[in-house]
Parts: sequence; C-alpha cells; structure tokens
Amino acid sequence: MKRLALCFLAWLGGAQLLPAVAAEIAAVVSQQAGVVTLIDLGKDEVVSEIRLAKVPASIAAASDGRTLFVTHPDLGMVSKVDVVTRNVTATFKVGKEPFGVALVDKDRALLITDWSDDALIRVDAATGAETGRTETGKSPAGLVVDDTRSLAYVADRESDQVSIIDTVTMKRIATITVGQAPFALALSPDGTRLYVGNVRSNDLSVIDTGARKEIARVKVGLMPYGVAVTPDGTRVIVSNQQSGTLTVVNAETGNFVGRARGGVFPEGVAVISGNRALMVDWAEDEVAVIDLAGMAITARIHVGAGPRSVVVLR
Amino acid sequence: MLKRSLIAAALMLASLISAWAHGPTPQKVEESITIAAPPEAVWKVLGSFGGMADWQPLVKSVTSTGGDAPGAERVLTLAKGEITEGLDEYDAPARRYGYRMAKENIEALPVSFYTATIEVKQAPGGSEVLWIGRFYRADTTNEPPDEYNDEAAIAAMTDFFKQGLEGLKAKVLGK
Repeated sequence: MKRLALCFLAWLGGAQLLPAVAAEIAAVVSQQAGVVTLIDLGKDEVVSEIRLAKVPASIAAASDGRTLFVTHPDLGMVSKVDVVTRNVTATFKVGKEPFGVALVDKDRALLITDWSDDALIRVDAATGAETGRTETGKSPAGLVVDDTRSLAYVADRESDQVSIIDTVTMKRIATITVGQAPFALALSPDGTRLYVGNVRSNDLSVIDTGARKEIARVKVGLMPYGVAVTPDGTRVIVSNQQSGTLTVVNAETGNFVGRARGGVFPEGVAVISGNRALMVDWAEDEVAVIDLAGMAITARIHVGAGPRSVVVLR
Repeated sequence: MLKRSLIAAALMLASLISAWAHGPTPQKVEESITIAAPPEAVWKVLGSFGGMADWQPLVKSVTSTGGDAPGAERVLTLAKGEITEGLDEYDAPARRYGYRMAKENIEALPVSFYTATIEVKQAPGGSEVLWIGRFYRADTTNEPPDEYNDEAAIAAMTDFFKQGLEGLKAKVLGK
C-alpha cells in the first residue's frame, strides 16, 4: 500500500523523483565522523557516505523516501539531506541542544526535542522556521509520533516520564511515569502500544496509549538504548548498550523471546525486511545485521566512526 | 548585594544540574596491552573488582562493597578526590567485566559519566588486555570551559587507561 502510494507520488512529481525504489536503504548517522552512511539492505553493502556538519546525532526520514533530517546537538542545528543527490540541501538553527527528531503533519513539520532547554520544538520542514513549542520534562531525548492521531511521545530522560503532546496545538496533554532514565521509544504499528527503554533501570515500559497508562515493565539487558517494533507488531527489539546485546520480547506478554550478543556499546536499532534487524555498534564503527529467526548476526557493515542512530528509507 | 549572591547561587545550581545530566555526545577510549603471561595470571590480578589500587598507579586506594557480583561498588581515591564505580556484569569464564561511573567528581576526573568494559584474551606470547570506555565531557552544555571539554575528558580517560594497563603489566610480571 505504502509502496503504491510512493509510486503514485513519483508519477505526480515526475518519474525522476524516485530513482529505483526497489532496494531498501538504511541511513546511519556517525557522530565522530560527521557523516550519514547509506546501506543497500538487499546486498548489505555501503552505497555512499554523505558528509555533514560535525557531531550529528539523531535522524528522521520523510515518506518521500529521499529526504532526511539530522540533528546536531552541539551546534544547535538540524541538517536536511537529500539521499538522491547526496547533498545537504539546507541547515536550520533550532533550539539549544536539538536531539530527537521526527516528522509530522504529512512531513510538513519537524518536531525536535531540545535536551538542554527541556522543550519540544515544531519547525516548518521547508524553511526551519519555528511554528510552536511546548515544555517537556528534563532532558527530553527520543521521540516518536502518531501522525494519524496528531500525537508525539517524548522520553523525558531526567524526569523518568513520557510526555504526550498534541502536535497541532503543541500543548502537552499528559505525562506518564516510566522506569528510570527513559531514552528511546517505539510505537506499535496501530499506535495502541508504546515501548520505552529505561536506561538506568534496565527495563522496558509498556504503555497503553489509549488509557495513557504503563501496563507492564519488563526487564531487558543493561542500559537499553534502542527500541523498535516488528511491522506485524508482535515483537519488540531492544539494544542493550552496557550488555552489548539485542533482546527480543513478545510485544503482548512482555515475555523474553531471544537474545543476540554482538555489539560493543550498541545504540540505535531498526527492523528491516526479511525478518531482520539492524543494530548500530557504536564502539566498533559497524552496523550488525541480525536474523531475528535464528538470533544470529548475518553481516557486519563498516560505517563512519561513532555511529549512533539508524533509519530505514522505504 | 543580595541580588548578586542570589544570581551566583542560581549559576552554581545551574552548573550542578548540567553536570548531573549527561549530554548527547559520547566519546570513546580504547586501549590494549600485551602481557607475556597466561590469561589466568592476568585475570588473577585484574579480576578482583575491589583490587584496582594494586595495579593502577593513578588510584591511591580503593574501598569496595559487594565483592565481584553485579551491583558491587568501589570508591577510588585519585590524586584530587574520590569517584565511585558500580559493577554491572562480571563474566569470569570470559575474563571480562563491565562497570559504570556511579558518582562523578569532575575535579578528580573531568568526565560526567562513563561505562567501560575490560577483558583478558589469549594472545600470541601470552595475553592481551582490552579496555574500552564510553564517556561524556564534564560540562555537557555547548560552551564548556577548557578544563571540562571533550579534549580534557579524552586526555584524562586515555591517560587513566594507559597508565592502568602499564601498571597491570608491571604487577603481573612482578616488576
């Protein structure tokens, strides 16, 4: 369905808008190297490397399959990147320490967490102009959005809570207490469950987004830093930075499904086609491809130094 | 006058808060050393979580609780003060353990937080010890003073690991 929609868009904008949509591409941000590395997930090979300004951190992909937004916390800046021409097409000054990033309003707006200003900022995705902001808890880190319901969920790391924000009015409508130091989060495909990795309490909070309540807290490995959900919504994968592992849990019961060892301070994760996952290996400057059926690493791909986050372009 | 001291107090508080939170840009330290001794002999010295003062010249003394079990803590007395570390994982068969900074002291060591893993591997001619750490500068705001910036943190952590490994080698070899 989504592929169809993309094709339609391509037709609307002229055939050259989307060059070969065929392969799934992952974009990995490397903070020390200051690059985004593009990986062809059909071949598990690096396609190209795009140089950015220094210390990039988090990344979001637009649904056009070619535009990326990357935050630079130390520069108070966001880069807009075109993966087709492989260029930085714009940079925006945003906030004090912009960290997490996501797209809303059908990709017309960006939401950005400001780590040192304790805020969620909305900017125009085309111009970078600020169009709204709201207070969050302390040190807001990761965020996910449910664009259908116009909601953003922000992990307020030093407040041990998740803030729920209406992305139209830019008002905070609820907070939910979770474990200690929530950092990364992921939504189920239908938006009814939110999974939050708590770095300091080494667990995963499961939130019923309808009731706006934490319904379970499940132990994972040490320092969970990346969270993702499989496309069918049945499993949640979590990277554990201090254990160097990937944990898979049953999304409904929270029961342990499997574990793969294979990272030195791993960070961002993503689920990709073929029942596989990507886990960014920060210390080894690699991305591990993990077969979720066998819980084994099937490939390791070298990327720029200090990789932190990953997004999949579809 | 009162206003000025209030502002000073507020500034102090602000700097304390920024030191607690660890900011978004981690740094890496990775050092290794080859020791002409079997891994068991190296692990005998290294494997005691509370025994760091026996081999790390930058540590004057250690007090520890909890032995070598996850959750154990050690307080390291360095030249300029104490820092506390907590043991996260301890894998004796793999001769590896992971630990984290539990209580910072940026006067003693200019970092706001770190995690680290140390491991002894079999290597040609004896053992190789691998020590890797992930840390944040002391001042995680965007305008840190020189003594609390990334360079200062990298220099301090690299020195700590290098001197530690040299000390470990000397201790194992009885020199």
